[in-house]
Amino acid sequence: MTLPSERRLPWLFLILLLAVVALAGWQWRDGAPLSANLMELVPGTNPDALELRAEQRMQEPLNREMLVLVGHADRQQAVAMAQTLGEQWQASGLFEKVQWNLQADLPALRTQLLQGRLAMLSADDRQLLSEHPDAFIQQRVQALFDPFNGFTLVPSQDDWLGLTGRIQNSQPKHGTVQLDIGSGALVADADGKRWVLLRARTTGNAFDMNLPLKVADLLQHSREQAAKSDVQLLAASGLLYAANGQQQATREMTWVGGGATLGILLLLLLAFRRWRVLLAFVPVLVGMLFGAVACVALFGHMHVMTLVLGSSLIGVAVDYPLHYLSKSWSLKPWRSWPALRLTLSGLTLSLITSAIGYLALAWTPFPALTQIAVFSAAGLLGAYLSAVCLLPALLNNVELQPAQWPLRLAERLVQLRENLLEHVRTPVLLALLIAFCAGGLVQLQSKNDIRQWVGAPQRLTDEAQTIARITGYQPTSQFFLVRGANQQQLLERQAALSERLQQLVNLDKLQGYLALDQLLSPPSQQQQVREALSKLPQYWQPLLELGVPLAALQTELQQLQNLPAEDIDAALAGPLGEPYRTLWLGPTADGVAAMTSLQGLNNPSLLRVQALDLPGVMLVDRLGELNNVFAATQISAAELKLASCVLIVLVLIVPFGFGGALRIVALPLLAALCSLASLGWLGQPLTLFSLFGLLLVTAISVDYAILMREQVGGAAVSLLGTLLAALTTWLSFGLLAVSSTPAVSNFGLAVSLGLAFSFILAPWAGRHVHRAAVVEPAA
Amino acid sequence: MNLFCKCLGAMALLAVSTLANAFDLQQLSEQLAKPDVIHGQFIQEKHLRALPQPLISKGNFVLAKNHGLLWLLKTPLQQDYRITANGIARRDGNAWQLLPNKSAGAEQNRLFLAVLQGDSSGLQRDFELALSGDAQQWKLTLTPRSVLLKQVFNQINIDGGELVQTIELLETQGDSTVLRMQDSTSGQPLSEAEQHDFAE
Repeated sequence: MTLPSERRLPWLFLILLLAVVALAGWQWRDGAPLSANLMELVPGTNPDALELRAEQRMQEPLNREMLVLVGHADRQQAVAMAQTLGEQWQASGLFEKVQWNLQADLPALRTQLLQGRLAMLSADDRQLLSEHPDAFIQQRVQALFDPFNGFTLVPSQDDWLGLTGRIQNSQPKHGTVQLDIGSGALVADADGKRWVLLRARTTGNAFDMNLPLKVADLLQHSREQAAKSDVQLLAASGLLYAANGQQQATREMTWVGGGATLGILLLLLLAFRRWRVLLAFVPVLVGMLFGAVACVALFGHMHVMTLVLGSSLIGVAVDYPLHYLSKSWSLKPWRSWPALRLTLSGLTLSLITSAIGYLALAWTPFPALTQIAVFSAAGLLGAYLSAVCLLPALLNNVELQPAQWPLRLAERLVQLRENLLEHVRTPVLLALLIAFCAGGLVQLQSKNDIRQWVGAPQRLTDEAQTIARITGYQPTSQFFLVRGANQQQLLERQAALSERLQQLVNLDKLQGYLALDQLLSPPSQQQQVREALSKLPQYWQPLLELGVPLAALQTELQQLQNLPAEDIDAALAGPLGEPYRTLWLGPTADGVAAMTSLQGLNNPSLLRVQALDLPGVMLVDRLGELNNVFAATQISAAELKLASCVLIVLVLIVPFGFGGALRIVALPLLAALCSLASLGWLGQPLTLFSLFGLLLVTAISVDYAILMREQVGGAAVSLLGTLLAALTTWLSFGLLAVSSTPAVSNFGLAVSLGLAFSFILAPWAGRHVHRAAVVEPAA
Repeated sequence: MNLFCKCLGAMALLAVSTLANAFDLQQLSEQLAKPDVIHGQFIQEKHLRALPQPLISKGNFVLAKNHGLLWLLKTPLQQDYRITANGIARRDGNAWQLLPNKSAGAEQNRLFLAVLQGDSSGLQRDFELALSGDAQQWKLTLTPRSVLLKQVFNQINIDGGELVQTIELLETQGDSTVLRMQDSTSGQPLSEAEQHDFAE
């Protein structure tokens, strides 16, 4: 019964397996090589080096900082809790810096204001000074008497003209947060509570595997602690999304993987009624191992999303043993090696077609799908090898006597189809199906958004929005990148942009922006201020009348004239430069560059228009670009699908001839079309991910068509084999549909639909090509 | 930050303070809390270190318990101010123009009004309060506690009898401001125009 080669095969395979296990052990020597960085999954849009640097600069705080509001009706209690938490967090070792109060360095502020009297004067003040010097002096006189003018950092005798006061007042306000002068805390007032701002910067970033979970734990602990004192915490951070993503991935992997495993094991037991048949799960485990090892070997690590989607491989991998196990309904007695010999060609074809389908995914510009493709292709190869080399040996002495009810069910289904075909001919059915497809496709809507990748829970987004509302801090991912030949040109260009952005702010289309030109003016403007100041003596009589000594004014003017032109680096070095520092990119290959950051919800297309005719200014909108890439990829995915079909036809021509191959491939395509139509009828959007799902279904369901066409063991047995294969695959993919990540759930839904249609259509694969050699091989 | 508001806040705080003393803050606050409306004149002297003589301005004020403060500057230039729960406003022609909230100033302003409404926690946290004298002639000294405030000024002195008479602000930079409240009366209710000013 067993050939000599079949005695050696298991041992050879075990050696290979041992080698792979050893490799896996080596790969995992420093812990799990897993990654949760979402940006690794999305396609690169190939921005230039400067753009990339700018983007990283803007992203960094999102992935490392946590913004927390500590709220209580009583300001003092809120401040006290913020202080307690701040100290605890600092001691936790998770954070590089925790800040709950402002340690204003007043002497440094004074120095910067005095030094920047020419450079930091706002555009309005510059205009007033040069066009209406008399009004400028008049306002200064008023200010000296004004009891409510507020406190100025620089004493009057150091700044009779009041330039530092003007600079102080023209600094852009940062949100609605106010300084509590007693404690130095930053406090916002909303919803009947005082909210103290607490900012923490972690030692690592959101993509370290453990950090986000630790931070989320600490936050949870702090929330509970605060709640005891009736203090409410609101938190926003990229870290929390990352932590949530990881928890969710783990949960879903457990559900999808565990659910599929349980379901498949149960199915095996019900159908074959032997404990030993559970060994059919060995190829699945081997497949997962091969997949993981290949993934880490090629990419250095594996993404958690690959694991989630990859866990659906369970259902496909188990199809290989099912192929020959299901022959136990026709082969009597059933023996493992002969059954394998009978189905080996089908198994091999199935491996090749599935691998083609999976590897087609690898050519999409999505690193995520490339990983999944590699994981799955390697996994299938592992599963195939173990199903072919090892499993028959393990099942060597098992005599399968499967339950008869599945066969009776399959027979009834075959009969049902025969009856149907007697009443309605195939062409009529086809016409009906096409009508169904046309009707559905008309209603199909396409939708692509990067947000589908993130199953962000409502709670997190709600909190982030509340924080944005309370503090006015609402950083956006879009920003402007401004380049100039030198600092003069750069600042001029930023100023030109700021002028337009200010109009948007006035129209409430934008909440705010931050640009270097708000901090200092270009050298030429500084020179203009100097010139305007030299004309001031004609107008300063009112100041002299107050008793300001002439000598004092003259000395001050002389000092101002002698102030050197201030450059960007000098302005950023002072305490007022702090919020602007991230914006400055410094010297580049062809000049200098800086960013203008934006606050508040906005309309990207409106922003894009702003940069249109401004030289050296460009909007960087990575999300928008990604969404465009998504849409473009949909088309290339469809092309890939066709290409993979052509390839599969070429492979199948050898065993089935051109007509047969075409038919076998046409069925999955038709099934895919029906799934698309169903999405339309169901009102579900077509996303890139549903398309990828269908791409995959084509590959898997070619299998069913082959199985039905080969008809080893008769129509009912083949249908039963197909049914089992489809069920196991559906168990693993279908479960993805419950994922809370829209992308994953779309994928699962599309595959589920595709599988259902593939199963229904599979019997049309034809039945006459293979001679009905049902009983002979048993001999 | 607006020190002026701070002192007015301190003044009003006395109306609610509960410390016990020979002539204690409790008694002082009760004394100052009695009148609903105070009308008076003020002289503001700004002593700048570099000026031989102070900058002097004069005008009238109206402090109304449930409304806020009107500060009407008459000489050497004319300008009306109003402090209410909404913030500081300046009269511009016939309309009140709310001044933009400077971050610290707005908080000060809110603090001031919180104090007016009987919330003493803010001032007591930020200042050491010391009272001497008797009901007819008392002196209250406010010394800043917080590091931030200490960088701004040294001390606030408030003198008074039945009502507040003088407020003196000593800044760390060497400048100081003295506010003299004169001819303060508490008998007169708000005039129609004043009511209108607060209502707007």
